Amino acid sequence: MSETVGELLDRASSALEALGLLGEEIEDEWSFVTDLVAAQRERFGAIAQQRGPESAVPSAVAAIERAVAETQSIADPHRAIDWLSTFPDLVALALDEPAGGA
Amino acid sequence: MRFQDAAPDARAIVYAGIQADPLVGRLAELLDGASTAQLVLARAVMNGETTDPDTWRSMVPACFPDDRSEAILTASLQVAERGEQVRSQFRGAIVEALTERLLRRRATAANVIRRERRILFDGVRAEIHPYDVTVELPDAAEAYDCKWGARGINADVLHQLDDARLHAAGEDDRLLVGLIVFDTRLACLVRLEQMTAPHEATRLVTIESLAGLARGRP
Repeated sequence: MSETVGELLDRASSALEALGLLGEEIEDEWSFVTDLVAAQRERFGAIAQQRGPESAVPSAVAAIERAVAETQSIADPHRAIDWLSTFPDLVALALDEPAGGA
Repeated sequence: MRFQDAAPDARAIVYAGIQADPLVGRLAELLDGASTAQLVLARAVMNGETTDPDTWRSMVPACFPDDRSEAILTASLQVAERGEQVRSQFRGAIVEALTERLLRRRATAANVIRRERRILFDGVRAEIHPYDVTVELPDAAEAYDCKWGARGINADVLHQLDDARLHAAGEDDRLLVGLIVFDTRLACLVRLEQMTAPHEATRLVTIESLAGLARGRP
């Protein structure tokens, strides 16, 4: 059975939270990191609410798997912060949603 | 209000070498006219860990197959393959070069778009940091600071931009000030929400609105 958009977004959300935890290591950026994670979580939630049960196309599954794997290879907290805005855009584009989210 | 070249210090001399690197110009050329998805691709690759092009092709399927996307991927990987410090300098220089290109497309004369300029006002001490890109038109001047990411927005830059706008108004000059951020609007808004420095009159141009810079004042 194919994965749903909701399931993909659950995996993306877990990766986002992990990036956030890594980014929080930069103490001066704690507030920015937590607020950005919350905003991106909300963005994923809005897509899931609209399209959660929908079957994801294979290219979206592969794209999000690769993007999640990329987040897992990041060890530098500064780079993790950069990815807090980059990663959700990759997820959105894979799901044929607009980039940006604002 | 008058514009002046910034006196080059040691950092500026090193950075000028980065700005003049053909890879910076190549990426600015490729990103001028790129789709939002292609801009996201460039940002992701230049922020990324992996340098395997196939991984990126499958990570951003919306961009492939496409010749411009391939060229953006190749050039972005060349930046990503450099050391962390050099990569960071390249990314900043690319945003500045792209901003200059976009502004030149609506400029009436080549010499009105300038880089690394200070703005001087009567009786006001000059700021230490020059503006990255300026549009030096009488009655319609613009000054921009360029950032790779939302995280680069800080109180100092917001104060500098807003102070310049206010000083210009004090001399009955019009100066539009703005931030060009190669990041999403959402990330910038989250960043700005945390800032108490004045920014209500500072224009914000992000990945989603970058192309509009070539069409008119933001």
